[in-house]
Amino acid sequence: MTDADTLAGLKRLNNTYQMFHAFTADTDPGDAVFLFSAKDNLTSKDFETCCGSRILEGYRPVFDATAIANLRRAGGKLIGKTNMDEFGFGTFSTNSAFGVPKNPFDRERSCGGSSGGSACAAAILDGHVSLGVSTGGSVCCPASFCGVYGLVPTYGRVSRYGLIDYGNSLDKIGLLARDPAKLKQYLPVIAGKDPHDPTSACQPPLELKGAKIRSVAVPQEAVEGISTDVKNAFENGLETLRSLDVDVEYVDVPELRYAMPAYYILATSEASTNLARYCGMRYGRQDGDYTLGFDAYFSSFRTDYFGDEAKRRILLGTYTRMEGFRDRYYAKALQVRMDVIDAYKRIFAGHDAVLTPTMPFVSPKFADISQMSAVETYKTDFLTVPPNLAGTPHLNCPCGYNAAGLPVGMQFVTDHWQEDKLVTMAAEWNKIFNVRVPEVKA
Amino acid sequence: MGAPVVRATSMDRDIVAKVAKTAHLTLTDAELDRYSRDLREILDYFRVLDEAPNHTGVGVNPVEIADVLRDDVPRQEFSSEDLLKDMKTYKNYIRGPKLS
Repeated sequence: MTDADTLAGLKRLNNTYQMFHAFTADTDPGDAVFLFSAKDNLTSKDFETCCGSRILEGYRPVFDATAIANLRRAGGKLIGKTNMDEFGFGTFSTNSAFGVPKNPFDRERSCGGSSGGSACAAAILDGHVSLGVSTGGSVCCPASFCGVYGLVPTYGRVSRYGLIDYGNSLDKIGLLARDPAKLKQYLPVIAGKDPHDPTSACQPPLELKGAKIRSVAVPQEAVEGISTDVKNAFENGLETLRSLDVDVEYVDVPELRYAMPAYYILATSEASTNLARYCGMRYGRQDGDYTLGFDAYFSSFRTDYFGDEAKRRILLGTYTRMEGFRDRYYAKALQVRMDVIDAYKRIFAGHDAVLTPTMPFVSPKFADISQMSAVETYKTDFLTVPPNLAGTPHLNCPCGYNAAGLPVGMQFVTDHWQEDKLVTMAAEWNKIFNVRVPEVKA
Repeated sequence: MGAPVVRATSMDRDIVAKVAKTAHLTLTDAELDRYSRDLREILDYFRVLDEAPNHTGVGVNPVEIADVLRDDVPRQEFSSEDLLKDMKTYKNYIRGPKLS
């Protein structure tokens, strides 16, 4: 399919799959070298940027996020902004105010979240690459559910300038694509030091020299409680790796059980402070009653325009930072993050990567998702959260399909700054694993 | 803001009402009930942290971040006009509610 064909079909595809919040009306790619899309929490000059939230309706940024600017400079045409859970708060992209993306393999199922629209676009559009953002698993989860490669670089590798904050110490911009060659091609384009983002300023150079993963450690804790179809596909994946002369060793990592609560405390603490800026002034919705006092004015916007999960996380994050609770929750979570990083470093002293399934089940049906409680949903992130908490780079590799043809993914985690091994693994894996192209329905 | 309705029957409900007020959210009675229940479940699950070992360090950032300073030279990348174009303004000031 040519780029012109892709552009001509966007409207029809979006009617069916709802991957975009906003997309181009252009049908001529012009002199574009490639087409790309970006999650709607990355600012872009030519599209409204809403983070899946009604409170930002009407926000037209005056600048491009650095990652978007760099892809444009490399000849990319931004074709649209992808649907997402509000501010990244979700695992299934069902918490979006602007349409819920549908899984390309079964439209009654979720694309995963929170970069669900990006994974959907990457799965459906030929030769496409999409920018996603991961705070606690928001690239690998949807990549797994949609059967595409998803790469999250080390925290600080890609500038966060223009990324609308969820959790500043956790947010990372990543790439999703059906063809892993795109990861290798575009990671160097978006990576690097940026004077606009001090967290990007301390990184060592990115070198893609073909370093290989020769041994993986599989935490016992990660294969307990996962569904049978995921377990089968994962074990087949391990067999294939062994046939590629990769050593596989099971290890105990008890620290992993603390990662999930620590992550949710840090993420919601940071989110609740970041979201304090949304109060009906400066950007997004500003149509309030100025005769109200400022407390009532701010509260009216936040009450009317934040969604249910956003409110839940604001309440949780505000609570865990309150005097009297801070030491028990926030301070402890910061210590657990160090424990988890130490645990990873111990493993990396003897192995190149940690390997787990990416998600404990294949993509669930929307009808089942609507029955899940908040804590049940949070618990489903237990495999994707640890590398996000630790800031270590990670990769979703499609590794199999269940009997119904739904994708299963496995997640490689390497040490800080070692994206090279992940990019090489994706390329090697793609030589022997046939990534299925979903049958697109108009 | 409209003060949250607080019923003194449940400590959890009172705390959620207090937190909501701090966070500038107005919750209905039904929402107070629902978020109280949700937060109780979530915090119950978080109790596993009490068993986690202490660590001498605190992970404010997952990787080491050092200050990298630029020269202290004023600069402006965007014109004020561009920045204000979508903001509600009054005589070139950003418009907001009255401070009462």
